[in-house]
Amino acid sequence: MLHRWPWMNRLVERWGFLWPFRDRRLYLWVALVGLVTAVLITLVWLAGRYEASQVQATLERDTGDAVNDLRSGLMRDAQELQALHTQHPDAHTRLSESVALLREHRAWLRIEWRDIAMHIQAAADSPLRSPTFEKTPRSNAHNEVVQACQRARRSTGPAYSSSYFVPLANGLGIEVMDVCLPVMRNGELQGFSVVTYSLQEIMNERLGQTFARRNEISFTEPDGTRLAIIGQHGRGVRIFSAQQLLDLPGVTLVLRMEGRRGAPDLFPNVLTALVTAMSIALVSVLVLLVKDSRRRLRAERDLADALAFRKAMEDSLVTGLRARDLQGRITYVNPAFCQMVGFEAAELLGQKTPMPYWPPEMVDEYKQRQAIRLAGNAPPREGYESVFMRKDGSLISVLIIEAPLINVLGEQTGWMSAFLDITEQRRVEEMSRSTQERLQATARLATVGEMASLLSHELNQPLAAIASYAAGSLNLLQSPQASASRQTWADLQTALERIAQQAGRAGKVINSVHDFVRRREQDREAVSPQALIDAIMPLVQLQARKLQVQISTRLDDKLPQVWCDRTMVEQVLLNLARNGMQAMDAPECRPRMLQIQVRRAASNENKQWVEFAVIDGGSGISPDVASQLFNPFFTTKTEGMGLGLSLCRTVIEQHGGHLAFEEHPPKGTAFRFTLPAPDTRTTH
Amino acid sequence: MQPTVNATVFIVDDDASVREGMAWLLRSRHVVSELFDSADAFEAMLHAAPAALQQGLPTQAGCVLLDVRMPGQSGLALFEKLIASGLAHAWPVIFLTGHADVPTAVDTVKRGAFDFCEKPFSDNALVDRVEQALALSQSRLSARWVQVERQSRIQELTERERDVMRLVIEGLPNKLIADQLDISVRTVEVHRSRVFDKMNVKSAVELANLLREM
Repeated sequence: MLHRWPWMNRLVERWGFLWPFRDRRLYLWVALVGLVTAVLITLVWLAGRYEASQVQATLERDTGDAVNDLRSGLMRDAQELQALHTQHPDAHTRLSESVALLREHRAWLRIEWRDIAMHIQAAADSPLRSPTFEKTPRSNAHNEVVQACQRARRSTGPAYSSSYFVPLANGLGIEVMDVCLPVMRNGELQGFSVVTYSLQEIMNERLGQTFARRNEISFTEPDGTRLAIIGQHGRGVRIFSAQQLLDLPGVTLVLRMEGRRGAPDLFPNVLTALVTAMSIALVSVLVLLVKDSRRRLRAERDLADALAFRKAMEDSLVTGLRARDLQGRITYVNPAFCQMVGFEAAELLGQKTPMPYWPPEMVDEYKQRQAIRLAGNAPPREGYESVFMRKDGSLISVLIIEAPLINVLGEQTGWMSAFLDITEQRRVEEMSRSTQERLQATARLATVGEMASLLSHELNQPLAAIASYAAGSLNLLQSPQASASRQTWADLQTALERIAQQAGRAGKVINSVHDFVRRREQDREAVSPQALIDAIMPLVQLQARKLQVQISTRLDDKLPQVWCDRTMVEQVLLNLARNGMQAMDAPECRPRMLQIQVRRAASNENKQWVEFAVIDGGSGISPDVASQLFNPFFTTKTEGMGLGLSLCRTVIEQHGGHLAFEEHPPKGTAFRFTLPAPDTRTTH
Repeated sequence: MQPTVNATVFIVDDDASVREGMAWLLRSRHVVSELFDSADAFEAMLHAAPAALQQGLPTQAGCVLLDVRMPGQSGLALFEKLIASGLAHAWPVIFLTGHADVPTAVDTVKRGAFDFCEKPFSDNALVDRVEQALALSQSRLSARWVQVERQSRIQELTERERDVMRLVIEGLPNKLIADQLDISVRTVEVHRSRVFDKMNVKSAVELANLLREM
């Protein structure tokens, strides 16, 4: 199982001793899940951190903004106060205006005007609340105010005092801060106007709308003591804080902003949720991938098995296989084919016509055949035979079964051929055929011998008797004392009677032979010409293959049957076909084509005739041979007995037909014979 | 018993016309013949004949004209039997053959047949051969009968006479014979003359020749 993952194999090889064998995969899975979980947790944590830092940054920014707001607000207040002086130099109107200002600014608790010696000359309290200095009356020499005014005098600009606590009438107190603005007239200091701010109200007025909603904002001492505070949000667990210094002339305040946030969710935001979801998806995809790869591996292994099986099959086949593309180039050969023709696969692949294994003398014929094939003509399903030449020059007979090579798309991409080496088979056939022929000849001779022996015995007996009587009679006639006697005459008469009797017996023997021949006539039957041709074709094909002759048969349509002794006529046809093929057995004789034709011959009402023709393309028959062609014991063959053609003619003539031959232009000879159709009057 | 002069030709052939033609031809030359239509018929005749004939010692001269090819027992088989019984020696066998049987016939001649005659040309030449065969048979039978007679003479000798004869033909003088047989010379002489009488000889040399012929 492990071996499907090569990397895992390597791992196991190196670290395998750490695992118990069976649990290795489990451990790996656990490790994978652990890692993924760790990544998830890290991601969630990082996302949380990021979020926190975002919050912190927001808080910092807010704090900065708040400080700026405060500063600019205070600056605007100082300008308004300045404006009050310049627009209303008159103390009375100035006081009434200041009340309006106090109404306007909630943070202003009181405005007072002091002379250069810091004595309070006029003061206005905020109408919005009870007077601030009710419980502890304002003294001229209030330390913070004095310091602020001294600073203001030095800087000829607004200066702020440090904050200080003022107890109120209701027992509470507020933290306040003064701003002292020098009042100048024509470049001379006239006095100071002092505004008392409530820190709380400053924040309320300037920041309450914007920042205090989410945060707790406070002014603190540098040591952290809260001076004033707005916005209280106590629900969150996590506290983020930021503080900024608010630098004012004369005083530095610390503005602290605290934001409380709830405990973070498991998926505090979209990012982490997304990351988590993606992680889960990742694991799922991983699992699917593993499954898929497992299936793929199985398929691959199956495929490899199938391929190996196919390869083994192709390699171990004794049938040669060859594929050609549509241009006739060899694209594939199997080892059996290579072995068959004796060439290496590399020598054959890509070869075009003429193939190296074609015998040189057959190249033209094979080229023609291939051209026919490439033109798209399907070869015979049962295959055809051919002769190939091995690399060493020896010839082999092969049976080729060819079929179009169709690819997955259903298009023909070439031709696939299977080859069977039938050399041995042919040789055996050839041998058995010649053996059979020899046997047949022997059998025929034996039959003839048997018959001759029987015949001679049958004839010998009466002839021997005749000879005996004749010799005895002569003896009697030559004997002088016996010649005259009556007994001698009687004896001679007996002898002559016996001689006549025995001569008659001999005549009967001869007649019986004739009868035997005549009896064969009764073996005649109606046979279709096709059946006659079919019967001899296997034998003819055998020899045709040996002599590389092509056989073509052509029979007219609707031929009548013929009335013949089937065996004899087959023998005649076979004889003529063999003669024809042997006539073409010369190296220069090409093409070798033997035609067997059957057609209707001239007929009359009473008798129909069928003409058989066996036409060869040989060198023809010379006139002196032609003149004695049908003579018994005349032959042009070294092994022949010279009986073939004369017997053929006898057989045909016994059937009432006629056997003749003629030249067949351009070259060759045609042997034609006729056979009668069954007599319509005697047969049904 | 002496063989008679009237010799007989035994014709064994399945074909009656051949048999009769042959007989007729022989008769025209004054040769007596007896006809058998098969090898079996001929054998039956032999079995019915006296014992001497069965032992190959016929009383009259003869000759067998035997067809090679016959239904039933063939001529060759019969010939084998005749050789076995010794009759083929006393009665020479001439085979009648067709053309195809010539090699067979030649073979039989090598094995003791007198001759063969190729059918259908059986004419006076055959009769000549038959007469020669008969003459041969005659002479052989005569010799055989002489021998038989001598054999029977030896049978007639007493045991002592035979002992004496044995020593005589070894060439021993009477005295030594007497010593060996532990009898008197006189007794030896009596036995000796009786042996010469019975064996119908006049001298020891003649006796030795006679016994050697046997």
